[in-house]
Amino acid sequence: MRRAEGIAALIERIGDAPIVASLGPSTFDLYAAGDRPANLYTWGAMGLASSIGLGVALGAPDRKVFVTDGDGSLLMNLGSLATIARQGPANLVHIVWDNHMWAETGGQPTHTATGTDLAGIARAAGIPQVATVADLDAFNTVIGRALTENGPWCIVVEVEEAGRAGRPTVHADENFLRFSRTFAK
Amino acid sequence: MPHWSDTIVEALRAHSIRIVPYVPDAVGWQVLSKLDADPAFHTVPCAREEEAIGIAAGAIATGTKAAVFMQSSGFGNTVNALAQLAVASRVGMPLFIGMRGGLGEFNAVQVPAAQAIPGILDELNIQHYAPQREDELAKTVDGALTLATSSRFPVAVLLYSILVGAKRA
Repeated sequence: MRRAEGIAALIERIGDAPIVASLGPSTFDLYAAGDRPANLYTWGAMGLASSIGLGVALGAPDRKVFVTDGDGSLLMNLGSLATIARQGPANLVHIVWDNHMWAETGGQPTHTATGTDLAGIARAAGIPQVATVADLDAFNTVIGRALTENGPWCIVVEVEEAGRAGRPTVHADENFLRFSRTFAK
Repeated sequence: MPHWSDTIVEALRAHSIRIVPYVPDAVGWQVLSKLDADPAFHTVPCAREEEAIGIAAGAIATGTKAAVFMQSSGFGNTVNALAQLAVASRVGMPLFIGMRGGLGEFNAVQVPAAQAIPGILDELNIQHYAPQREDELAKTVDGALTLATSSRFPVAVLLYSILVGAKRA
């Protein structure tokens, strides 16, 4: 499956739930799927999507919070899996699009191309709900579970890289303010 | 005069700081151990300092106030997170940094990072304050917490040994 298909399926299911996207293709495909105020494009904060998502989940425990990460980004912040497991936020769903490459910098193979198993690492870190899926049907099924069952979830999705989508035109500070306002009480 | 750590705890409480991500150090722990025992605060131990910047940014986005604690030697791990998240996105995030490497330091390895921090903060345009005496601490911390929120920008409070005591070998 392609990442864009997964993002489209996700957005259809989650209403106005917040999504924190890692930099590069994860952000570009999310933007291309339709800009929405509850999207936070972390374009520049390398590796931090999972940590930002944890902060959102702790700050808004009554909301389901989604992170769309990449294999390269998560490899930069593996410790965040242990921190998420220690906090155990039931409302956090961490999706990792695993294309086995650093697509944004030219397609160099990441460590998942040579055997590193991010779902295994998540499990060993103590994340209670971990799944690996490789097609759209299985992705839809696991998202259905993540919407009804307590997390934290880490869902690794095997994707084929399918080229570049559009880049967000919203400025980082404007994006952050806009995202913040979706939590206004 | 209350202990310096109590002054910081009460300022955090007065400003409704709720989420406190940190990597522990001997200075910060004097505050964090009190926050840990206090239901008004939710401390979040992190594996690495840049996680703490991300967690604080996420919490602040939801309208839940946050403050970060770290040691000077871990500050270097946060530079990209500060530059390309907290500064670029204008996140009003107070940073409390336990400063090794100054007066009374027994470990020379701690010195270079500590010496570099004020300059790095200056280059990032992040205001930083270093209270020297307990009688100026409350105003400094209260002011820094107000400033971070009002300016929507990180503000650092550097806790040097002249205030908090030097770690003994």
